[in-house]
Amino acid sequence: MEIYLYIALFAPLAGSLFSALFGASPKTSVTGMVASGLLFVSFMSSVVLLNYVMAGHTVHVEMMTWIAAGDFYVPFGFVVDQVSVVMMMVVSVVSTIVHIYSIGYMDHDKGFNRFFSYLSAFVFSMMILVMSDNFLGLFIGWEGVGLCSWLLIGFWYHKESATWAANEAFIMNRIADLAMLVGIFMIYWNIGSLQYDVVFAEISNLSIPIVTWIGIFLFVGAMGKSAQFPLHTWLADAMEGPTPVSALIHAATMVTAGVYLVVRANPIYGLIPEVGVAIASLGAFVAMFAATMALVNRDMKRIVAYSTLSQLGYMFVAAGLGAYWVALFHLMAHAFFKALLFLGAGNVMHAMHDELDPFKMGGLKKSMKVTWILMTLASVALAGIYPLAGFFSKDLILEVAFVEQHYVLYTVLLLTAGLTAFYSFRLVALIFHGNERHLKYGIHPHEAYTFMLYAMAPLAVLAVIAGMVFKTPYYEMVTQLLPAIEYHVHNHTTFWIMTIGTQLFVIAAIAFAYKKYAKAVRVDVKVESGFFYQLLYNQYYIPKIYDEVFTKPYRELSKVAWKQIDLKIVDATVDGIANVIYRTGEKTHTMQNGNLSSMLRWMVVGLVVLLVLAIAFTVGYNAVTMRAM
Amino acid sequence: MQEHILSILIFFPALAAMLGFIVHKDSARAYGITVAAVEFFLSLWLWYLYDPMTSGMQFMESAPLVAAFGINYIVGIDGISLFIIILATFFTMIGIASLTETRRVKDLIVTLLFLEMTMVGVFAALDAVVFYVFWELSLIPMLYIIGAWGGPLRIYASVKFFLYTFTGSLVMLVGMLFMAYFYHQATGQWSFSLLEWYRLILPLNFQLWLFAAFFVGFAIKVPMFPFHTWLPYAHGQAPTIGSVILAAILLKMGTYAFVRFSLPLFPDASVFFMFPIATLAIIMIVYTAMVAYAQEDVKQVVAYSSVSHMGVIVLGTFALNVEGISGSIFLMIAHGVVSGALFLLVGVIYDRRHTKLMSEFGGLASVMPRYATLFGIMMMASVGLPLTINFVGEFLSLLGFYKQSHGFALVAGTAIIVGAIYMLTAYKKMFFGTVTKEENKHLKDVNKTELLALVPLAVITIWLGVYPKPILEPISNSVESIVQLMHDKAQTPEAQKRIPNLGNPEVKNLQQEAH
Repeated sequence: MEIYLYIALFAPLAGSLFSALFGASPKTSVTGMVASGLLFVSFMSSVVLLNYVMAGHTVHVEMMTWIAAGDFYVPFGFVVDQVSVVMMMVVSVVSTIVHIYSIGYMDHDKGFNRFFSYLSAFVFSMMILVMSDNFLGLFIGWEGVGLCSWLLIGFWYHKESATWAANEAFIMNRIADLAMLVGIFMIYWNIGSLQYDVVFAEISNLSIPIVTWIGIFLFVGAMGKSAQFPLHTWLADAMEGPTPVSALIHAATMVTAGVYLVVRANPIYGLIPEVGVAIASLGAFVAMFAATMALVNRDMKRIVAYSTLSQLGYMFVAAGLGAYWVALFHLMAHAFFKALLFLGAGNVMHAMHDELDPFKMGGLKKSMKVTWILMTLASVALAGIYPLAGFFSKDLILEVAFVEQHYVLYTVLLLTAGLTAFYSFRLVALIFHGNERHLKYGIHPHEAYTFMLYAMAPLAVLAVIAGMVFKTPYYEMVTQLLPAIEYHVHNHTTFWIMTIGTQLFVIAAIAFAYKKYAKAVRVDVKVESGFFYQLLYNQYYIPKIYDEVFTKPYRELSKVAWKQIDLKIVDATVDGIANVIYRTGEKTHTMQNGNLSSMLRWMVVGLVVLLVLAIAFTVGYNAVTMRAM
Repeated sequence: MQEHILSILIFFPALAAMLGFIVHKDSARAYGITVAAVEFFLSLWLWYLYDPMTSGMQFMESAPLVAAFGINYIVGIDGISLFIIILATFFTMIGIASLTETRRVKDLIVTLLFLEMTMVGVFAALDAVVFYVFWELSLIPMLYIIGAWGGPLRIYASVKFFLYTFTGSLVMLVGMLFMAYFYHQATGQWSFSLLEWYRLILPLNFQLWLFAAFFVGFAIKVPMFPFHTWLPYAHGQAPTIGSVILAAILLKMGTYAFVRFSLPLFPDASVFFMFPIATLAIIMIVYTAMVAYAQEDVKQVVAYSSVSHMGVIVLGTFALNVEGISGSIFLMIAHGVVSGALFLLVGVIYDRRHTKLMSEFGGLASVMPRYATLFGIMMMASVGLPLTINFVGEFLSLLGFYKQSHGFALVAGTAIIVGAIYMLTAYKKMFFGTVTKEENKHLKDVNKTELLALVPLAVITIWLGVYPKPILEPISNSVESIVQLMHDKAQTPEAQKRIPNLGNPEVKNLQQEAH
């Protein structure tokens, strides 16, 4: 089995290196094919491993030593167990599809080869992240995906907005990474190892305050990658990258790394339920907070990005409340339908010549029928309508909140479910229904390449069946590792009222969105100039506040540090001292004027001074030593 | 030959430099490369002969110089100095190989070979006087390199560099003389031998004064805040080769000396001054990173980033445990490789455009893709991405200091944030965006000579990031003996508590070995 582990892990790296060989040369389709082929190989190995794990085994290998100094020892070790195999499946499925899709999407891009090199490198990093058997190995993947995210957000590096967003994402993630590092330091100095199995076995021997701090620091690390408030602004800006990147990195895989971390570290969080509740509360807040911003946004990709953010909030609610398997399940289901949604958005963008404002589109269902069906399907799944994936995973989180008696969280999530349905179908209605508003811009849309649509098909299938078909076998597999808690509302009446009520609420929200946007789009000036609309439209003014409070002062302070402090104080002091010495020399060199009598006089002065000093020192020294005796 | 390999390593370049005067100037380059390559392979051979499992000094040589005062020519290496020596010979070799300077090449090569002798000498010396002589001698070639091949302000920069570091060294010399005097008082005989000094246990107040005297010399060399202002001038005016050697090797003399002198000689004082020094280190990390962010000249960004990284090294050294000190020594190597490479990369663009102002560039990624890639790899190493060489050192340094103080380590950890800010911003200014300047549109990508230096550095950066063991293991073994020595010598309860007792019987004690 080890060989499959290594194939699953290193096939993407091979693809990346292969494409990198052609990085600077013009498009060669072979790079896309080879990279996709190798990912398919990685996917097949993951399937083999999945079967193996489902049969009740796990694979654990230690490849070689990485860092060893003193007592510190960290190897390159990898583990395929019930949790990591789920992540491996998600990553390999979505990335294979996105790779194939990208062959079409990046067809005319002159950075075609470079793109595949970065994209496969990302998959490799992500595989390291989920397969590592220790926290520092996870951190390699953690930073690796950060690097690839930076490369891919800024892929079109001639665009100022893209490179700015890339740097923002990297730096903001670095802030969180510091917390993660501190968490790792704490684990090492308290337990003496970073291996998961050792840490999880020993963690209950630590005092609760220490465990709490470890939990908090690791979670702050997770907040960066999963773009939780207040470190969320980078995710929406990251939409500057090519759309397949958004689908793979900023929807399906990388941003869920934070959720994976909490799920993986469940023995830690299991000891500190208070931190768990805090995580869940933040998750619920982010779920709603992001959904409200999606309501009014006029950028197709940003709407989907906020939706991702909101769904990540759902996952953290589940993880925070101890329903780790539910969080991981929603992570998986979400990856399928959200990637589908993004790839659909990519088709629309291509058809619309990179136009992103859905208000300039409309009626696309005529020319882009398949994309319309796929995106609608994805949106239905996202909204959580029975029997699609979202129903089984998202509504389960609502049930978790309800069963755990966190009714405030439950209410927030329920309301957010309505918002989710509304903004999702607002988007669908604006793009695919109503008048063809784009005609006046001279755009004549066309459907994407057929093979791209075929590539998307598996995601559509998964978005439909993932909930129904996978739930039971999934539950049986992961609960061998994760706490097996079933969340059932015991009272049947309550259960049916909740389920049907939620469904009706969501359907009503969908209907409202269609009613408002599917026909003619009327711009309601009064609402749009209102305070709340503006607040939401400007993302609660948070990017602006960050700019004013952090970015600009840092820049100014840096200038002051250089021009005022470093040059005018520190360096000027040094030069000042040197100048004083120099001038003293200049002024006193007249003493050495060669006149014997004046020089003799100076010599006498010197002698007297020395004598006085000698006496003073002797007296002083004796006084000190006397006292000491 | 093996028993004299260190002496050969030290004096072979000097001898070759002298012979270099009679070499014809057209063949000076080939001569220089040959000599430097031979020297480099000698140092590799040294590594091959080195026994990584022994923690103490190896290849020791001793010859009396001034017997009456206990001044001897003593050289020897352990895991700590071995790799810095290899780094020095390596950088001299690739520095000469990739030399683009056309003015008075022969003089420059002779100077570099002479400089190589002093560098190897400093890291191999085990006698304070010998150490001091090499330490001071190293100033002269660098003074000459900056003063003769530098930019418009070269005289000011070189004099500042010389006087500043020389002043510090003088204070250090006084400290050494006092140390020898105390040794004489305690044992009745004169000695400048470092290993014999190690056996001397000084009372705390003596330690404090001596520590301070040594500190001034070392801190200016590192350079630590607030003694760092000579560095931007030196880098700003020095030719590429000067900056590369300065950043890669010469700065390491200061941090190396902390490990070799300050810690084992004055363990109690090291603990006493731990937090003041850590404070300075943190100022170095954060403050100079901010200054780096404000720079307009890319070479100054790299120069200030050096100071910032040296802050992490100092912090790791004063973690006083095996993890921290090993990490800081590894980071010395790592920073040598990475900052050396970054200065070479800056040199590449300077040769083409004769400017280092970032506002003059922009969009270079499309014009010079290979250059952008290499710069990108080195930048990512500089910001400490895992699987690059810097991460290992930075991680261990911070991990080590976390044991001493959680708060300090947390604040120092901001290095990974502020480092990313200035580096990514600089990269964006130079490589991203569209090409706006006409002069930049047809720049040539890196050529073969430049690749000759840059590709090996990139390979090392990743190789040692993935597999640091060949270097980290000998370093760690030697550090263990220093930490144990410090623990055994520690007198104050604070020092006994803060310096871990490894209690490992396999760790050979340097004290016994000195006999």
